[in-house]
Amino acid sequence: MRAFEYVRAADVDAAVATVTDDPFASYLAGGTTQVDLMKDGVLAPERLVDITRLPLHGIEHGPDTIHVGALTTMEELAADPTVVARLPIVREALLLGASTQLRNMATIGGNLLQRTRCRYFRDPSVPACNKRSPGSGCAAVTGAARMHAILGVSDRCIALHASDVAVALVALNAVVRIQGDQGRRSVPLTEFYLESAEDPVAENMLAHGELITGIEIPLLPEGARSGYLKVRDRVSYEFALVSAGVALVIEDGVIQDARIGLGGVGSKPWRARSAEEVLIGAPPAVETYRAAAAAALAGAWTVPGTAFKVELAQRTLVRTLQNVTEVSS
Amino acid sequence: MTATQSRPLVGAALNRVDGPLKVSGQAHYPSDFDVPGQAHAALVQSTIAAGRITRIDTSAAEDAPGVLTVITHLNAPRLDRGPMTGLGASPPPPLQDDRILHHGQHIAIVVAETAEQATDAARLVTAEYQADEAVLDLDDPRAQILDNPWGLDTQRGDVAVAMASAEVVVEGTFTTPDNTNNPLGLFCTLAHWDGDRLTLHDSTQWPSMVRATMAQVFKVPEDSVRVHVPFIGGGFGNGLRAWPHVILTVLAARTLARPVKLVLTRPQMFTSVGHRPEGVQHIKVGATATGELVALEHRSLSAVAMEDDDYEPLAAGSAVAYACPNVLTRDRQARLNIPNPTSMRGPAEAQGNFALESIIDELAYAVGVDPLEIRLRNYAEINPEAELPWSSKALRECFEVGAERFGWSQRSPEPRSRRDGDWLIGYGVAGVSYPWYQAPCQARATISADGNGYVRSAAADLGTGTYTVMTQVSAESLGLPLDRVRFDLGDSDMPIAPQAGGSGLTSALGNAVQDACRQLLDSFLTLVHEDEMSPLRGCTRADVAVEDGRIHRLDAPLEGETYADILARHNLTELTADGASDPGKAADLGMALAGAFGAKFVEVRVDADLGLVRVTRIVSVIDGGRILNEKTAGSQIVGGTVGGIGQALFEDTVTDAGTGRIANATFGDYLIPVNGDVPDLDVVFVGAPDRGTPLGTKGVGEVGLVGVAAAIANAIYHATGRRIRSLPITLDTLL
Amino acid sequence: MTHVPDVQTTGAGAPRTVSEVTTTLTVNGEQRTVSADPRVTLLDALRDRLGLTGTKKGCDQGACGACTVHVDGKRVLACLTLAAQCEGREVATIDGLGRDGEPHPLQKAFVDHDGFQCGYCTPGQIMSAVALLEEGRTRTDVEIREFMSGNLCRCGAYPNIVAAIRQVASEGGSDARL
Repeated sequence: MRAFEYVRAADVDAAVATVTDDPFASYLAGGTTQVDLMKDGVLAPERLVDITRLPLHGIEHGPDTIHVGALTTMEELAADPTVVARLPIVREALLLGASTQLRNMATIGGNLLQRTRCRYFRDPSVPACNKRSPGSGCAAVTGAARMHAILGVSDRCIALHASDVAVALVALNAVVRIQGDQGRRSVPLTEFYLESAEDPVAENMLAHGELITGIEIPLLPEGARSGYLKVRDRVSYEFALVSAGVALVIEDGVIQDARIGLGGVGSKPWRARSAEEVLIGAPPAVETYRAAAAAALAGAWTVPGTAFKVELAQRTLVRTLQNVTEVSS
Repeated sequence: MTATQSRPLVGAALNRVDGPLKVSGQAHYPSDFDVPGQAHAALVQSTIAAGRITRIDTSAAEDAPGVLTVITHLNAPRLDRGPMTGLGASPPPPLQDDRILHHGQHIAIVVAETAEQATDAARLVTAEYQADEAVLDLDDPRAQILDNPWGLDTQRGDVAVAMASAEVVVEGTFTTPDNTNNPLGLFCTLAHWDGDRLTLHDSTQWPSMVRATMAQVFKVPEDSVRVHVPFIGGGFGNGLRAWPHVILTVLAARTLARPVKLVLTRPQMFTSVGHRPEGVQHIKVGATATGELVALEHRSLSAVAMEDDDYEPLAAGSAVAYACPNVLTRDRQARLNIPNPTSMRGPAEAQGNFALESIIDELAYAVGVDPLEIRLRNYAEINPEAELPWSSKALRECFEVGAERFGWSQRSPEPRSRRDGDWLIGYGVAGVSYPWYQAPCQARATISADGNGYVRSAAADLGTGTYTVMTQVSAESLGLPLDRVRFDLGDSDMPIAPQAGGSGLTSALGNAVQDACRQLLDSFLTLVHEDEMSPLRGCTRADVAVEDGRIHRLDAPLEGETYADILARHNLTELTADGASDPGKAADLGMALAGAFGAKFVEVRVDADLGLVRVTRIVSVIDGGRILNEKTAGSQIVGGTVGGIGQALFEDTVTDAGTGRIANATFGDYLIPVNGDVPDLDVVFVGAPDRGTPLGTKGVGEVGLVGVAAAIANAIYHATGRRIRSLPITLDTLL
Repeated sequence: MTHVPDVQTTGAGAPRTVSEVTTTLTVNGEQRTVSADPRVTLLDALRDRLGLTGTKKGCDQGACGACTVHVDGKRVLACLTLAAQCEGREVATIDGLGRDGEPHPLQKAFVDHDGFQCGYCTPGQIMSAVALLEEGRTRTDVEIREFMSGNLCRCGAYPNIVAAIRQVASEGGSDARL
C-alpha cells in the first residue's frame, strides 16, 4: 500500500528540493488539473507539495515587459491594467479560457502545465494511451477525436494542449522562468513545449522538480493590434475547437510584424511562423490572410474526427486577422 | 361545493413553496442524508461491452484499508427481477452471472468505511474477460430487431396508392444520437435495513415503484419498505426505474447489516441510469401542389439494450399530428450491447417530431407555401386516428399567437436572404402535439385540530413545481389560505402515486388531491349531519362553500362553522379522507384525450464562414389546458426549451467503436447549454381547461422541449439554405 | 496546521501509512477543524465532515459549478480545492448566506423570478451570482450570461437566473454583502 502525504512548502528552495528528491512528489498549485487527474486515477503522487503560499504572486511592470509571478491567478492577470491596455490578446484568451471560478483558482504557471483533456488519457480503463502508458498505442486515433490536435501530432498521440492563454503567450514570445535544484534558467515559451509526434510523454522541457516561478511577457509596441478569437460549439465554458491569437504591427499599409498563435489544433500551443512569414511585408488584405492561413495548416495530420479543423482553423485565423485589421471580405 | 377565495389560488403565478429551502441550501436531496454507522460504496464496471468474466480478483480490494466487503457475481445471492411497471419490465438484477452485456456494466460493489476508501479499493478489483465482438451499431446485421414492440404501429387509408398519386413527394432520413439526461444531482441510494424493514433514500421519480421493486427483489412485504425522496436534483427520466445500482446498494446493506450509501459519479450517470437512445427515421410525405397532405409514412429504428425494455415509439406521434387521410407508422428497436436507454424528457416525441416537423418544412419549401400556413392547412381538427374530437386543442391559437408575437410576417420567403455582417439570419417554426398520458393516483387529506390542512401523496417533485401547485389545489379545494395548508410528497408510505414522468403527474395527482379534499369535506358534513349543534346539519357538499377554513351554507352564508370548531366539538384531533383519480377512457368520454400542444418560433444567426449557430429568439406558445401556476408552468416551458436547444445543437453521447465505451462521459465533454447559449425566452399559454379530466390540466413538463430541434433546424435552413437532417447540428456540418 | 505523521491505520487488510492532516479554517464566520486524508476536497470536507450539505456535488470534476463557494472572498470550485489548502482561509457557503436571519437579496430574487427548478445547482448559482455582483459584471445581460456560464443548470432556469441577478444589480445589489 502506498503512502500519501501533503506538505506545505516553506520557501521556493525547499519546495524544489523536496520535489526533486522524491520521484513520486508533485507540486500543487491551483489544483484544477492536479486534483482532477488524481480523482480520475491518472496521477497518483505520493507527496503533494503545496506551493500556493510561496511568494510567487503578483505582477511587476517594466517598461517593455511584465513579469508575472507563477502563482498569479488567471483572473488576476486578466484584470491587470497593463494587460487590459497593452495585451488585449492575453486578456481575451484568459477570459475565454475558463469560468470565473476556475480563473480564481488556476495559476498562470499551472495553466501552462495543464494536461490534455483527451478522454482516453484521462480514463485509466482505456488501455491504449501512449502518453499514460508508453508503447500501449493511441485509442484516440480511431476514437472520438473532435477535441484533438492536428498539428505536431502523429498516430502515436493526437492529444491537444487546450490552454488558451498559452496560445497568446507563444505568439508574444513570452519567456518562462524556471528554478531547479541546479539553479535558475529562462526559456522562451516557444521552446518550452515539445510536440507529441515523436514522444507523447514529454510535454515540455521541465525536469522533475523544476518549478516555473514566473513568466515574462513582452508588451506589444504602441499601435500594435492584437486579438484572440475562440471558436467552439457553446457560447462559453468550453475548450476551443480552434482558436487564433494574432498580433500585428502595420505601418504605411504594410504588415511590419506578425505573431500568430493557434489553439485547438496543436499538441502544444501552436506558433504559426509560416503564416507570419506570409504576412510580414504584405499589405493587410483578405487574400494575404487566406494564404497565411493555408501556410499555417500545411502540416496538418488528421483523423476523420479532426479533419474539419483544417478548414475551420484557416477560416478562424482569417477572421481573426480581419477583426484586428478591420478588413472585410 | 365551491371554495371561494378573495384571490384565486389556482392559476396564480405564486412563488414556489419550497423556494426558501432551495435558495438557502436547506432542501435535502438523497445524497444530503446520512445514517449513523453508514458505510460507503463504490462500483466496479466492465471495460468490455460483450463477453464473459473469466476471472475477477477482489483480494487486493478486500485487503485495502477500511474495506468491509466486495460483492461480485461469484458471491452475490440470486435475485428476482422486479415487477412489470407501467413503463415496461424492471431492469434485470445485477451480478447474476458472468455475462457482460454492455461496457460499464456493474461487475462489483465495494463497501468501505469511507467513500474515499471505497473508491480507492474499487480501482484494485481486476477482471479478466473473454470478449465477444459487441453489437453496437443500429445497422449491424447481427442486431436482433424487435418489430412493433409496443403495438403502436398505425395504418389508415392506403399510403402506397396515395403516395403514387401525390403531386409532390418529399422524403428524408433523419438521425438522432444518444443523448444523456444528466440531471445535475448525482444519483444516490442510501439503504438501511432494520431486520426485514428497509429504509431507502433514493434519487427516484417514482417512490412507489422503487418500494414495489425492492419488496419483490428482496422478498419482503411492500409495507416493510419505505422510500424517501423529498427532493431530487432533476431526473428527466433517469429516475423512472429501480436501476441495478439501487439493488446493489440495498444488497450490500443487507449483507453487512449496516447502512450503505452510494453516490454515482458523473461518468456513471452516463452508463447506469439510462439515456435517450439513438435512432434513425425515414419519413416520406405526399401532398397536393398546394401542400395538402395526402400520404405520410414514418418508419423508425432505435436502440435498446440486449435484455431490457425502453419505450421509444418515435414514429407513432406522426399518426395524429396532421389531418392526413393515408398514414403509416412503423417503429422498431435493435438490440445492442449498450447501457439500457430510458425515457429522457420528451421520449420518442423529441426525436419523432424533429423528423416530422423537418419534413413538413421541406414540403413547404417544395410547394412554395409558407411553413406556418402549411401547418394550418393540414390542421387536425379532430384526432384523425380515433376519429373523435379532442378533449381540448388550441394548436391553431398557438400558431396564430406565436406568429404575432414573433413577427413571423416579417419573414423573407427565400432561404439565405437575410444577412447582418457575418451572420445569416433565419426563422423557423414547428408544431407539437404531445401525447396524452395519465395513470391512477391516490392522495390523502387531513384537517387537524387547529383547522390546518395536510395533504400528501407518494409522488416526487423533480423541480416541476408539484409541491407548489398541489398546495394551491389543496388550499383551493379545502377553502384554506395557502399558509394553512401543507402538501407533502416523496415518501412511499404516503398514498401510492405514479411516476413524475410522461407529463402525467400533475393531472393524476391534482385530480386525486382534489378528490381527497372533497372526500374530506364530505367527512366533515357526515360528522355534523345529525349534529344538533351544527348550523351545517343535513347539508351535503352541494349545499356549502368553504372560505378561510369556515364551511358555510350557500343559502345562508352567515350559517356556518370552521373545521376547527367541528373537530373540537366532536373531540377529534383530526379528520382524514382519501381520494383517488383514474383517467377516463376515450371511448367512454366520446373524445380523444389530448396532451399539450405547442408552437415554437425560432430565430437563429449562423456565421456564414465559421458555421457558428446562435439562437437569438424563441417564442413558445403552449396549450397546456388549465395552468395551475403561471410561474412554475412557465419555468417548465423555459427549461424544456433550453433542453431542446441542447438536443438541437450540442448533445451527443459518443460511443467508441469496438469497445462500446462512452467516449465523452463528463460535463466537460458532453455539452449541455450554458447560460450564455440561452436568450430570453418568450412563453405564452393559450387554450382552455381540458374537458377530459376534472381539474382541466394537461402536463407541460415535456412539450417545451419537443419541437425546438425542428424549429432550429428549420431556421438554420432558412438562414443558410442547408437542410441538416442529423442532430446535433454542429458548426462543422455547416462549414 | 499540524501533521500527524505515520499514523498506523488498521483496516480490514494490510496496515497503511497515512498522514492525516488537521486543517483549521473559518467557515461562514465560524472556526472549524477538519482532520482527514489530505486528498479530501473542500467539498467533501464541507458536506461529509462539517455537515454543511448546502454545497452540492454535480460532477466532482470542475465542470459544472454546483460546488461553488467563496474562499477569501473569491468564488472557486470546492471539488477541485483540497481542504488542506484552506488552512487559515475564510470559506463562505450557501449555508451561511444572508445576515441577521434575513436572506441575501439574491436569494429572495431567485425565489421571486423562479431562478431554479430542482434546486440542485442553486446554491452554486447563488454563490456565483453573489461574487458576480461584487465583481461588477452585471452591466448587461450578455455580461451576466457570460460570467454565469460556469454554472450549469440542467432544468434550464437560465433566463430566470439572469432576471434575478439583473433585478438585484439594478437595485444596487453589488453592495449587498454576505
